[in-house]
Amino acid sequence: MPFPQALNGRAARALAASAMLLMAAASEAQLRLDITQGVRDAVPIAIVPFGGQAEGATTEVASVVANDLRISGRFAPLERRDIVAQPTSGAEIRFEDWRLLRADFIVVGRVEPDASGLAVSFELHNVRTGARLLSGRLPTTQGGLRSTSHRVADLVFEKLTGLPGAFSTRIAYVAVDGRPPAQRYRLIVADADGYSPRTVADSTEPLMSPAWSPDGRSLAYVSFEGKASAIYVQRLASGERVRVSARAGINGAPAWSPDGGRLALTLSRDGNLDIYTLDLASQTLTRVTTDDAIDTEAEWARDGASLYFTSDRAGSAQIYRVALDGERRAERVTFTNSYNARPRLSPDGKELAMVTLDRGGYRIAVMELASRNLRVLTTSTQDDSPSFAPNGAMLIYASRERGRGALAAVSADGAFHQRLSSDQGDVRDPAWSPFPPRG
Amino acid sequence: MPGFFKEHLRPLAGSAGLHLALLAILAGAALHWTSSQPPVELAIEGYVVDSAPPDRPATKSQRVEPSPKPQGDSVPPPEPAAEEATQRRAQEAAAAGRAAREQREADQRAERAAAERRRAAEDAEAQRRAEETEARRQAAENDAQRQAAEREAKRKAEAEEVRRKAEAAAEAERDAALQRRLAAEEEAGAAVSAGVMDEYRRMLAQTIERSWIRPLSARAGLQCTLLVTQAPGGTVMDVTLGACNGDAAVRESITNAVYRASPLPAPRDPRAFERRLEIVFKPTE
Repeated sequence: MPFPQALNGRAARALAASAMLLMAAASEAQLRLDITQGVRDAVPIAIVPFGGQAEGATTEVASVVANDLRISGRFAPLERRDIVAQPTSGAEIRFEDWRLLRADFIVVGRVEPDASGLAVSFELHNVRTGARLLSGRLPTTQGGLRSTSHRVADLVFEKLTGLPGAFSTRIAYVAVDGRPPAQRYRLIVADADGYSPRTVADSTEPLMSPAWSPDGRSLAYVSFEGKASAIYVQRLASGERVRVSARAGINGAPAWSPDGGRLALTLSRDGNLDIYTLDLASQTLTRVTTDDAIDTEAEWARDGASLYFTSDRAGSAQIYRVALDGERRAERVTFTNSYNARPRLSPDGKELAMVTLDRGGYRIAVMELASRNLRVLTTSTQDDSPSFAPNGAMLIYASRERGRGALAAVSADGAFHQRLSSDQGDVRDPAWSPFPPRG
Repeated sequence: MPGFFKEHLRPLAGSAGLHLALLAILAGAALHWTSSQPPVELAIEGYVVDSAPPDRPATKSQRVEPSPKPQGDSVPPPEPAAEEATQRRAQEAAAAGRAAREQREADQRAERAAAERRRAAEDAEAQRRAEETEARRQAAENDAQRQAAEREAKRKAEAEEVRRKAEAAAEAERDAALQRRLAAEEEAGAAVSAGVMDEYRRMLAQTIERSWIRPLSARAGLQCTLLVTQAPGGTVMDVTLGACNGDAAVRESITNAVYRASPLPAPRDPRAFERRLEIVFKPTE
């Protein structure tokens, strides 16, 4: 049947041709393309000096905001010398000027007297589109101007990254002055940008392992002030403190349960180092691990039902997890390197930060728990004590610089590194606070 | 004036002599018969002729010259009683002259009438011939016009036919070309144009990916569509957000990624340029 076949062939071609024409007409309107990746550059942003009658206070706000955004690693604030115009409200912004300066966003604002003292008004605009993304008015005082500036930075950061800013949070760390035997240990709490350090504990014997309570109001820490180690819980506002564990042998590595009702501890009272939990209200102590090896550095899972900890039960330090009910059989979590220790969970509970022995150096790494994919974030050789910022965007850790302990920060993706300068000498054991209670 | 007399000396002299003779006769007759016809008029006429201005002499003097009137009219009866015969003869002669003159005038009239008739006939004939000629010419002209019109109409019709055929051929050629192109694209898997389009798409995607500063909240599972209008030079004119499951940070970042990438790259083949782009952000991790 050649004829019908030929006809069918022609008909098919005609159909195909008309189909192609239809497709051409449909796709003529637009070309479709997919974007599957981006870059990890810092977002260029202009933080214009704030205006207003409150002289002296005005420039400080912008510089605090710009510095916060800069040390987050996510933003590249324009240099002050490049900021030629000084709009103080959205209506005064000439967006084309800022486009020429290649800023993507701009923050403007004013500080003015208010019934309660001062008020900081601010606006965030997209320079490319001219859209106002954020505006607010925060009452404050002359003394509170710096923390109010951190709040402005928090809100800008959240709008532009999708994560709450952590600039209003604090860090705790230990500073050591002098040389043995005349050494002085201080437990210090400072703003997240390192400003406003305040000594909360002071001793000629070692202080170590500060841990924030979930509400951010208390610190648990280890003190050797009685020539033996003990664990204290201290309320920051009042300075009032309680010795919660001073058992024979080692009392170390306190960690708060998510509800703040218990501490996980490392004790050697039964011969070797094991993990215990201590109910703060009842003083009830519960042994969690019984292995002959060293078990230490506990970290609570977000649901409070299990603990991550370091153990050398397999010959070298690795991280394990143990459930608090049932048989308490520990399961190994890390397998990648020969040494993994000091587990710290990310705020969302999906990642575990640790110290790993990577190519001959002790470095900070983050492991995605679901995939066990380990990414090493730092490049030094003696990094220690990682601690996540409460928004998960950065980690602070202890490093060594010219033979002295120093603090450093790294973004959770490892792209941005920051040394935190310190005039407090040898610093170690940093711990990033949770978000302050709201309201 | 002297030229004039010299030229017309003889006729003038003749005329003057004749007048003088007539005057003599009239003078004799006037003694007996004063109440006759108006000889004065003639005399006056004669004077007028003689003293006529030199610029219009010839015709009048010529017309006067052949006139027989003076001869007949100017013969008066010599005397009523005594010279009755003479008078009669004169009368008879006058009558005869009159008759002859009348005859001659009648003849002349007839002749003139005949001539007129002849002329009229001739005129009529000429008119007829002219009209005939004109009619023939007109007819010929009409004929020529008609033929020309017919020729023009025919030419037009032929031209129209040629044009129609050419158009039909061109249309057929266009159809054939389209069919060939479609067939070629079909056969070659649209290799060339699709290749150029793919390359263009890739260039655009790479440029925008290099410009997209991914915010922390842009995670796998994100899918956001932007409708972008670009000018022919690649300058981004407009960015409109379509469906998007991302937060404000994602929306601002992808919008700015496109603006940061402006001007967008041009395709190798300008025909691949598209003013409207649909850009889907869907990070893989």
